[in-house]
Amino acid sequence: MKAYLGIDTGSISTKGVVIDENKKIIARSYLWTEGDPSGAVRRVVDDLKGQIDLDEVHVMSIGTTGSARRLVGAMLEAQVVKNEITAHAVGTTFLHPDVRTILEIGGQDSKIICIENGIAVDYAMNTLCAAGTGSFLSSQAHRLGVEVEEFGEIALTSDKPANIAARCTVFAESDLVHKLQVGYEKRDVIAGLCRAVATNYLNNVGKGKKIEAPVVFQGGVSKNVGVVRAFEDALGQKVIVDPDGHLMGCFGAALLAADAPVLRSEPFMFNIDDFEFRTREVVCGHCANHCEIVCVYRDQDLIDSWGNRCDRGAIRPKPKPAVA
Amino acid sequence: MRSFQSQPEQSAGEPKVKNPAEEHGRIVMRDGAPRPLFFTGKRPKRRRHSRHKVAFFHFRYYEPAFKYFTEQVLDADFVPTPTPTRATIKRGEEMSADYVCTPFKHIIGDYAAALEQGADTLVQVTGFCRLNYYGELQEMILRDAGYEHFQMLNFSYVATGKIRDYVAYCKKVVNPNLSIPHGVKNLLGAYRMVEHIDTFRDRYLANAGFETEPGSFARVRKEFLSAMNAAKSNGDIEDGFRRAMDALDALPTNKPEDPVRVGIVGEYYTAQDPTSCLNLEQKLLDMGVELSNAMSISAFNLHYNAQAARESIAEYSVHDMGPTSTFNIAAAKRFAKAGYDGLVHIKSAGCTPEIDVMPVLQRLSRDYHIPVLFLTFDTQTSDAGLDTRLEAFYDMIAMRKVRS
Repeated sequence: MKAYLGIDTGSISTKGVVIDENKKIIARSYLWTEGDPSGAVRRVVDDLKGQIDLDEVHVMSIGTTGSARRLVGAMLEAQVVKNEITAHAVGTTFLHPDVRTILEIGGQDSKIICIENGIAVDYAMNTLCAAGTGSFLSSQAHRLGVEVEEFGEIALTSDKPANIAARCTVFAESDLVHKLQVGYEKRDVIAGLCRAVATNYLNNVGKGKKIEAPVVFQGGVSKNVGVVRAFEDALGQKVIVDPDGHLMGCFGAALLAADAPVLRSEPFMFNIDDFEFRTREVVCGHCANHCEIVCVYRDQDLIDSWGNRCDRGAIRPKPKPAVA
Repeated sequence: MRSFQSQPEQSAGEPKVKNPAEEHGRIVMRDGAPRPLFFTGKRPKRRRHSRHKVAFFHFRYYEPAFKYFTEQVLDADFVPTPTPTRATIKRGEEMSADYVCTPFKHIIGDYAAALEQGADTLVQVTGFCRLNYYGELQEMILRDAGYEHFQMLNFSYVATGKIRDYVAYCKKVVNPNLSIPHGVKNLLGAYRMVEHIDTFRDRYLANAGFETEPGSFARVRKEFLSAMNAAKSNGDIEDGFRRAMDALDALPTNKPEDPVRVGIVGEYYTAQDPTSCLNLEQKLLDMGVELSNAMSISAFNLHYNAQAARESIAEYSVHDMGPTSTFNIAAAKRFAKAGYDGLVHIKSAGCTPEIDVMPVLQRLSRDYHIPVLFLTFDTQTSDAGLDTRLEAFYDMIAMRKVRS
């Protein structure tokens, strides 16, 4: 049976799925990136390998997405390397063909995608500031001594959420400290925080965008029921959260890989552990700009490089020796 | 340092004791007799003049026009500003306030680099926003940073908007021997060159995304710019321009019937300058897009009909909200009406006038069903985030085009 692999390497978590010919997910994996994308990908690939029977399932094409898509793409010799916005749009419109708005809040960035007749027509992504993203929630959870996974449940128990500034993370944080010091209950503060994330998102990323039903909410933060409730209150409509919502990026990448014009000549054997991947930074000396070029090596062979602004700094892999 | 104390041996009515270097050329009537007051003994300014070394800041590919202006109009030496690098930008950042808009940082970095190349006259232009104060502010910052031997040719000191006054100001600051008829004639040549550079750019942006031979368009542009750089007369300009346009049109392309078309609008400097917007135009061209950039010196300064632009957008905005708001909204509307597939709006961080344009563009986007990508640039050097946004934008408009 032919199958396709999609990997989404984000700032916080790394996700992977294997889909079969009918575009059904047959293996899924979700792990923390822990600042080491290549290590995280190895773990995800190993995890997926354990869930399928390699003799029956032949992975014929690989798609990568997320902020480390290029590095991971080079490691896995991916057929498709796509940005996460497109991947999310593709994945979500496949599962929810009638969706009109996708809200996505990830570890470090948040985006909104507007969809008409199954195609993305407009999108926005947070620019200079990471306010109201997953990282903010997890650092505040740490401050409150609560696991971020329990955040949503606690927020739902509150019936008068504290008012927390939604504009900026720094102000939100000082607001939060103040509310705790004057004696607000922890659950009210947590609920206020969830509400601040939703308002912040709608005021920044969602500004000027028409949010039409059906609305799908995904990304890591969509697992937080408190934020889901805050969105439903703010928008006055039902917000759909897919159980596989956190996997939408890699699912989209796998779908794109399935449509790749050229597939692999032989199935992917999930054997990246056999190679050693190494990256090296080179400072180009051709002009005063000193571009930092990243070179990726598999064992001793250079497989890809990027980071140069002009052709003079291009470092190209040696052409592969012709097979005799 | 200049001393402001009066000299003790100086008495009223007597000629001032001058620096011995300036004594040259003094004619003494009679030995020991006081010199008549009307006779200063100084040679006229035009004869004491030594050629100035003039430098501009970096602005897109206009350097040949700046050079032509300096050499043929001002009759001074041109100091080419070194190609901006990360070091230049960092230097500019260090000398600027954090919240000043990004062009200020780029320009002051260029100035510092030019002064180190030996320039002694820096040119700053004027506009309708904070740009007006930038020349003066940059001069103060540079002097505080220890650059002393330079002067500014700051056109914001001339507020009349008349060519005659600008030339007179140049004559006063840069070259007292400047011939006004000659200067005006060559100034028109410099205008022509600017127009040609813009025409070439427009043709380049329309077709370079579809080149069949990689690098061929960039090669022709390089040849064109070096021909412009070498131009000494108005004839050279016309000649070089015609040859470059012929070469550009002769290049093979595989442009489809109905390509993906993207229009660029935005803040005057950042929307045009490749260093400031991290080479955004080339990134889009590499994806195979037909581009139009509304902003250029010819479009905004030489051939801009403000009244017509204002009338064309009467349903969206009644007032000017800064220097380029009306221009940009009108251009965006023109692109939308012409059936472009997407718009990119570029601004520098801290550019208030362009922030005011954004809600209007959002309304335009809903009315004409055209997606707008809003981008803000500061002096960041990493373009990973930009690549993601541009790729996603391209995927979105390309998919939309295929389906419809």
